[in-house]
Amino acid sequence: MIFDEPNFSPGGDRYITVEFGNELSLELNFMAQGLAGALEEAGTKGLVESAPCFASLLVHYEPRDISYGDMVSELRSLCASLGSTDEIELDSRLFTFETLYLDPWTKECIDDYREKINPDKEYDPDFVARLNGLEDRHQLVRVHSGSEYWVASLGFWPGLPFLQPLDPRAMITCPKYNPPRTWTPQGTVGMGGSASAIYPVATPGGYQLFGRTPVPIWDTGKRFDVFDGDIVLFRPGDRIKFQPVIREAYDDAERKIADGSYIYNIIEYQKFSVRNYKNWIDKLDRNERF
Amino acid sequence: MLEIIKPGLETSIQDFPGRIGYWNQGFPPSGPMDSWSFRLGNILVGNDAGAPGLEAQFMGPTIKLQSDSVIAITGANMAPKLDGEEIPMWQSVAVKAGQTLIMGPALKGARGYLAVAGGIDAPSWLGSASTFHKASVGGLDGNAIKAGQVLPVKAGKGQAGQGQPGRRVKEACRPQFASDKKWQIEAVAGPNDDWIDAAGHAQFLATEWKLEARSDRTGYRLDGPDWTFTEKATNKPPENGEFPSNIVDQGYPLGAINLCGQKPIILVNDGPSMGGFIVPYTVPSAAFWKLGQIKPNEFLCFNQVSVEEAQRLRIELDDMCTEASIES
Amino acid sequence: MAEQVMTQAPGNVWKVLVKEGDSVAAGDTLFILEVMKTEVPHEAEGAGTITKLHIAEEDAVDVGQLAVEID
Repeated sequence: MIFDEPNFSPGGDRYITVEFGNELSLELNFMAQGLAGALEEAGTKGLVESAPCFASLLVHYEPRDISYGDMVSELRSLCASLGSTDEIELDSRLFTFETLYLDPWTKECIDDYREKINPDKEYDPDFVARLNGLEDRHQLVRVHSGSEYWVASLGFWPGLPFLQPLDPRAMITCPKYNPPRTWTPQGTVGMGGSASAIYPVATPGGYQLFGRTPVPIWDTGKRFDVFDGDIVLFRPGDRIKFQPVIREAYDDAERKIADGSYIYNIIEYQKFSVRNYKNWIDKLDRNERF
Repeated sequence: MLEIIKPGLETSIQDFPGRIGYWNQGFPPSGPMDSWSFRLGNILVGNDAGAPGLEAQFMGPTIKLQSDSVIAITGANMAPKLDGEEIPMWQSVAVKAGQTLIMGPALKGARGYLAVAGGIDAPSWLGSASTFHKASVGGLDGNAIKAGQVLPVKAGKGQAGQGQPGRRVKEACRPQFASDKKWQIEAVAGPNDDWIDAAGHAQFLATEWKLEARSDRTGYRLDGPDWTFTEKATNKPPENGEFPSNIVDQGYPLGAINLCGQKPIILVNDGPSMGGFIVPYTVPSAAFWKLGQIKPNEFLCFNQVSVEEAQRLRIELDDMCTEASIES
Repeated sequence: MAEQVMTQAPGNVWKVLVKEGDSVAAGDTLFILEVMKTEVPHEAEGAGTITKLHIAEEDAVDVGQLAVEID
């Protein structure tokens, strides 16, 4: 449900949670990111930072510069001035990542889990295809790679992007591993619930695994200019397209990444318009699948 | 220069207030858990209150001092010894090249702090030298200090009190650790306090929660009774998750008392920035120093305070971490 | 000469590698504590025989607790 009015709650002495609703919908994330953008533009004295999540925005403020009550008033008035969600337009970069779907490394990881933790675990792409009524793992690849993915939020692990498919025809779901895996290869592309993710470094995890991208989204070695001095590549509001490639192309990209000559595919001249997005999805037949 | 002979148990370089401004990319602030002790140590040796220093946890390091300097040790009592002789805590102490400092096991409290005049010269990662070793960021190489490393120290800046021995923190200005293993911890209701029913709230505030041994800088696990919920926790869209304490993923404030299933975990300095569980209460920043000093199997008793009261406590604490607390 | 091995940190006893009556050499690991999800081994300083074990696996211990006596 989308709340009529956003809900404001304190988090200790210096945080505020602004809740827009209690469901998983892109609309709620657009509202959270819209408010984040408006806050930054307003340059409110006392704002330290904000972090959007699926349906909410966490605001970090300095109580010496602004009281809780005044910050809530400011947030309320910014929400009101945002107007309807349809009005929201957000700068949005589009990244295209070479991705080897049905790759050998995630297969090895799944096989390891089968051997050590649960021998009944079905190969993830087959499992997810079956759960969602798709023909087979190849249709899963077409469906998953057919949509742009919206960076709704980053976190749980630094740099880990939570991605929602923008194309409703790519909205599939799957449960997480129970118990979770103790390791996942770096660069794995996976999915849990309805969110997709890229593992920025090798970590434990619970998402179903589909493929792997060689493109770094985490750069502590300051190797790539596109990171712009940051360690993490993404910001909320970015979009990602997973481009299925063959093994040779994956290896070629990996070589170029190793020698530093890799060129990221980023389009930075687009604004994401919620109105245009809504008009587009209204025209789609959601029962279609690629 | 500080030569690490023995690293202790996950001793790391931290600065205050830590890494700020990257919450939306998943970076917690890190920094010292007990910023009261940490800041006063820096002030004793004439540094800015937030300058990079060492945080030792439970078992302190053995360090060979490679140059003449002034140091201060604050926080938990690790019975510090210089060349085998006990040196006072909460006081700036002159040290000479070639001397060996041993910080031992913390007998009371959990975390000890070493400040050195000039501050540790560690590179800045996203605006802070604080170590976040889960993601290998900060410190010298992204991790806790290791035997054999040499930590460079910045040259003193010639500030008032820079590198003067014999400066002491007034007794009344030092944090008082709980003596009976029971700590009173402030808690502000929210953000998700309306998910817990009246009985659940009363129980939270009446229980002596035991700190589990598996707690660390990413989370403090509390042992105690089950929580009870309002309708908000059970009557919600299915994508929130199956447990009453599951919610659509949300950002976590620092100090969140995160209810994972039925397990409360206080999210502290290196904790996750978001997740899918509710936060019925949040520990305010003025109380974090207590979290930094509680030992496993000690108890936390929570007192509810308002946002305004919590903010007032933080200002009082910040006022304490100044030259006004020093005597010579 | 009698040696008293004290716990170096508060935590849980994860593994006890000796029993009363065992002979140990200097440097042998006697038990391992789990502290903050990290293993903290405790070793014998000198050689001898384990005369008394005051701890068992899964015990919660404080720092400075007498754990093992060696003679």
